[in-house]
Amino acid sequence: MNNLNKRAVPGNGRTIDIVKKGLNKRYRKERRFRVFGWAAVMISLGFLFLLFISIISNGYTAFQQTMVRLDVYLDTDVIDKDDLAGADYAKLIHEALLSVYPDVTKYNEKRKLYELVSTGAAYRLRDFVAKNRHAIGTTIQIWVPADDDVDMLIKGHIDRKTPQSRRRINDRQLAWVDHLISRGQVKKVFNMTFFTSGDSREPELAGIWGAVCGSFYTLIVTLVLSFPIGGAAAVYLEEFAPKNRWTDIIEVNINNLAAVPSIVYGLLGLAVFLNFFGLPRSVPLVGGLVLTLMTLPTIIIVGRSALKAVSPSIREAGLSIGASKVQLVAHHVLPQALPGMLTGTIIGMAQALGETAPLLMIGMVAFIVDIPAGFTDPSTVLPVQIYLWADSPERAFLEKTSAAIMVLLLFLMIMNATAVFLRRIFEKRQ
Amino acid sequence: MNQEQTTGHPHIRPGRSPLVERTERATVGQTTVEDPRISCKNVAVYYDAKKAISNINLDIGRNEVIAMIGPSGCGKSTFLRCLNRMNDTIEGCTVSGQIFMDGKNIYDSDVDVVPLRAQVGMVFQKPNPFPKSIYDNIAYGARIHGLVQNRDETDELVVGSLKRAGLWGEVKDRLKMSGTSLSGGQQQRLCIARAIAVNPEVILMDEPCSSLDPIATAIIEELIDELKQDYTIVIVTHSMQQASRISHRTAYFYQGDLVEVGSTDQVFLNPLHQLTEDYITGRFE
Repeated sequence: MNNLNKRAVPGNGRTIDIVKKGLNKRYRKERRFRVFGWAAVMISLGFLFLLFISIISNGYTAFQQTMVRLDVYLDTDVIDKDDLAGADYAKLIHEALLSVYPDVTKYNEKRKLYELVSTGAAYRLRDFVAKNRHAIGTTIQIWVPADDDVDMLIKGHIDRKTPQSRRRINDRQLAWVDHLISRGQVKKVFNMTFFTSGDSREPELAGIWGAVCGSFYTLIVTLVLSFPIGGAAAVYLEEFAPKNRWTDIIEVNINNLAAVPSIVYGLLGLAVFLNFFGLPRSVPLVGGLVLTLMTLPTIIIVGRSALKAVSPSIREAGLSIGASKVQLVAHHVLPQALPGMLTGTIIGMAQALGETAPLLMIGMVAFIVDIPAGFTDPSTVLPVQIYLWADSPERAFLEKTSAAIMVLLLFLMIMNATAVFLRRIFEKRQ
Repeated sequence: MNQEQTTGHPHIRPGRSPLVERTERATVGQTTVEDPRISCKNVAVYYDAKKAISNINLDIGRNEVIAMIGPSGCGKSTFLRCLNRMNDTIEGCTVSGQIFMDGKNIYDSDVDVVPLRAQVGMVFQKPNPFPKSIYDNIAYGARIHGLVQNRDETDELVVGSLKRAGLWGEVKDRLKMSGTSLSGGQQQRLCIARAIAVNPEVILMDEPCSSLDPIATAIIEELIDELKQDYTIVIVTHSMQQASRISHRTAYFYQGDLVEVGSTDQVFLNPLHQLTEDYITGRFE
């Protein structure tokens, strides 16, 4: 009974008094901690907000394109009905422009006038004629893309107050543009070109579709290779491999590989896939192979931790009922680990989607106009396209860069949302 | 000493001291039985270099319920897990000695654990149904072992097993529901139903009632009483009352040694070993 009267706490006073005295200090600490946490979240949200604001404010104009209406006389002397592709459509466009401004006669002035519309206008006209053969010999109205400088002017990115010598549009061109606007021959439309064409030297003709296709084919290769290989490696290492020095070495090296700078994988791909195996350069197949190497460690590590997280009591239940090792893994462990493994894979894919450096090494940085149609067509990918455009001097590419970033971010968000969605589904099923 | 005994366990006959001193660790009591189902010879288990149990000699009779009691960490669960080689799954665990079933040492290198575990089922401390439907929980073992050929046989097996486990009335309308959605006691009965669905010959139970309330415990004890008609049951329990209620024989483990084994009445009423008496009267040094 003596023990009960002995105080475990030194000093005098009731415990409740001591606790109350310390309470303020305790709560102050808690409040401070909460403020720090809140501040950290706010700062990161703020920067994220800034990033979005800057990208969107720079890029939203890229979704619109300035078009110019021209009255083109489809001269039968120029267009041969049997050889539509061989006609000089640029000449027709030029004549249409000259018919508006007949006073322009000097060679230099004519060139400046022609520069108001894109060189792509001729292709628009050709496509129009191909669809409307009966129009040959008549005068038609057609909307053609304006030159990127005119586009920039209309969108307000070129300052009229800048001295002519430092402006990409001279005073004469300014007057023409203003005249065309006053005649209602200029309008801004949704920029379909941006979503349907490949890269181009002319900003008004450049689009993201080629890069999207390239990214798609590359990621397909990456997914098809890295998920089965990474998943199988994770399952083997976690469930079947004996625990000895060799598996320790393998584990350490997988962790090391996850931290290897991605450009090193690019060099590896260059040395092995291009030089040794002689695969073609700039193709999604090789890009996918390189990105597979890069994402494998991530997938293996995430997969192993997902497998490790499966409760041991389920394993015991399976084994005690007489399931063999493979049955245990296939029937009980894998279904439980799959959501985690899938999440890891999608995060790995998102990483691969945003990767630039290794692809530079295998030539996916090339300027490619054609839309890739397969795994062995030369192509580029979204982040590389962003890099290429960011490198271009034209003002119009600035907004394209931001727009491409928006597209890339959109894809990343979709992928991450898919990961969350898939995990929900699999968790609900259990 | 005398005073201690009279105030201790009510079943202990006063005035009679056990025969064996505390320092003596050789097993006392009846370790062998006629025609044993399982016969253990010199079983010892090491976790890496640490000894968990040693020198266990014990026969387990046919259709017998044998209870393993002893303080935490005494090695009773470790011993239980030797009987279906579940210790194989623990890294660094080595088992020596022999355990004979049907005249064959189950630790021989040519023994396959899959048929062994089909023959020796197990129920764990924490109910661990598969995260599948109640139906699939029961059917799983029979399916992988090929005990059922078609849907009708499976249905019959599931219904029969659930009935035997006393769970049929509670779950017959929701066989498609996940096994994990049941209450703790129901989950444990589901696990027992799952174990008997494979029709094993021996069922190992590792503290099957420790996470259950008294009502669920009573139901499971009734069930064990039922099952002993057909199965040999080895049960580890922390509850001496439970051991005395359900078992034929009781084995007392202490610090990795099998100290005493005998008929349950004898062990609880007339323990031969001082350590056994200390434990059942609630006196620890």
